Amino acid sequence: MFWRKARVEYVFLVPFVGFLLFFEIYPLINMAIRSFFDNNTGEFTFQNYVNVFTQPQFRTAIRNSLLFATACSMVGAVGGTFVGYIASHISPKYRNLLLSLYSLPLTLSGLVVAFSFIVLLGRNGVINLLVRQIFGLPRSVYFDVYSWYGLVVVYAFYQIPLMALTMAAIFLNLDRSLVEAARNLGANTFQVWRYVIIPVLAPGFLAGLSIQFAGMMGAFGTVLALVGGEKNLLSVQIYYHTSESTYNLPQAGALAVTLILIISLLLFTLNRLRHVVSPGG
Amino acid sequence: MRRLLQHIIFVFLVLFILVPLLMPVIFSFSEFWQGILPQGFTLRWYEAIIRRPRNYSALMVSLTVAFGAVVLDALIAIPAAYALNRLDTRGGRWLRNVSMILPLIFPPVIVGTALVQAFSRPPLALTGSVFMVIVAHALIGFPFMFRNTLASFQTIDERTLSEAAASLGANLWQRLRYVIVPNVLPGVMVGALLVFAISIGEFEVTSMVAGFTAQTLPLQLFQQIRNDMRIASAISAFLVYVSVLTFLAMTFLGGKMYGDARDRR
Repeated sequence: MFWRKARVEYVFLVPFVGFLLFFEIYPLINMAIRSFFDNNTGEFTFQNYVNVFTQPQFRTAIRNSLLFATACSMVGAVGGTFVGYIASHISPKYRNLLLSLYSLPLTLSGLVVAFSFIVLLGRNGVINLLVRQIFGLPRSVYFDVYSWYGLVVVYAFYQIPLMALTMAAIFLNLDRSLVEAARNLGANTFQVWRYVIIPVLAPGFLAGLSIQFAGMMGAFGTVLALVGGEKNLLSVQIYYHTSESTYNLPQAGALAVTLILIISLLLFTLNRLRHVVSPGG
Repeated sequence: MRRLLQHIIFVFLVLFILVPLLMPVIFSFSEFWQGILPQGFTLRWYEAIIRRPRNYSALMVSLTVAFGAVVLDALIAIPAAYALNRLDTRGGRWLRNVSMILPLIFPPVIVGTALVQAFSRPPLALTGSVFMVIVAHALIGFPFMFRNTLASFQTIDERTLSEAAASLGANLWQRLRYVIVPNVLPGVMVGALLVFAISIGEFEVTSMVAGFTAQTLPLQLFQQIRNDMRIASAISAFLVYVSVLTFLAMTFLGGKMYGDARDRR
């Protein structure tokens, strides 16, 4: 009886498992295997991986990606926590409006964001023109959206809302009576934050941070639309080795495997940290 | 004073999202926009999407792909969510967690390069076809469909309800027709809307697997950002409308995107 029931339900999993195996797992394994073979001769080699860690362009790409993803996640984490905090402290009507608005960027194409920021912050963008006119500055003064700082500002449009939605939910869940109970038992502000608020917030904050970081390590659409291949990122390198003139699939595979390892390591570390910060949660 | 500060912060936070969203919309209705303020009113750039064959075919490809990805995801995710809700075993939980973490570890750029490597040579030369783009979008959209469908199976407690209906003499068809479908439909619809919206705007994987035959709207947009900002503005505005409409429909269905992050733990 038990087996008959169970078997029927496993049948429903067949399309899911089949699709995932054929279109996600098989391509990934295939990619990992091919990354150990030479692009031209087809011989077994570690050269693709040696390249990743010795060739200057790839080393710079890894360094840039790590720095860029860290900067964007930090901006997203701080900004998102701030928005989440504000959202949880205003009346429900305004909160819903704010959070609704902040969930819009999640489905928005990265290219639309690129377009908007070219219009707003391009060399002769609306904001640059406005600021120059108000302060009477020369044409050579402008905020450069095509610089690293500019890209961080553009990606903040994604990262802050993403974090804000997570943090708003957590702030709303934070049981105020817990804080009051701690106060009544004689805890000072520092103690309340250290022993009550932070342990409650930390797991969600770190989960949000992981999502941000993982997402940023792989992001390249908006970068490509804004500056083309000018900014050297790991994800851009993978893109160029897959579909542009520098076509070299095994090399792209080796870079992709490296990227997967970096993201996995980071998710693992942040997950560990989550257990350290709040042993109960 | 504190209230005033609160109001200023609130307005600033609203503008932070609203202003970038409005840029393509304002641009798309203006004759030209060189200075601080846009000039004139026109619908010419929207007309160009419909009149120019390349743009129009991209629009059609995008719509086909988005519908295809929604259907494909529904066919995979609904049975899986049904089964996983019932199989509350270790394997079921494991599979559930895996499908949540997978998109984090394998971002679009990885999925794209892996698909190109696996399916660009005979006998599996699928890249460059609309089918490949549908598959790629289904892969990216899958977690959203799956999560929402599973959540609605869980909140209605499908097992108990079905058993109750069965004990009252309802057969399988009646259980499906009167119990399962009406209760699960809102969750499936929210998932479908999200998959649709994500698919319509997807650029990263598409640019890798699409080739020349399966040019979608975002791929056209990518070219137009370099060539003609006015055409680009109309395409961008169209994508903004899709996102906003999707969101309004989701709110109407009672779906919430926020708060959703909590069950990622």
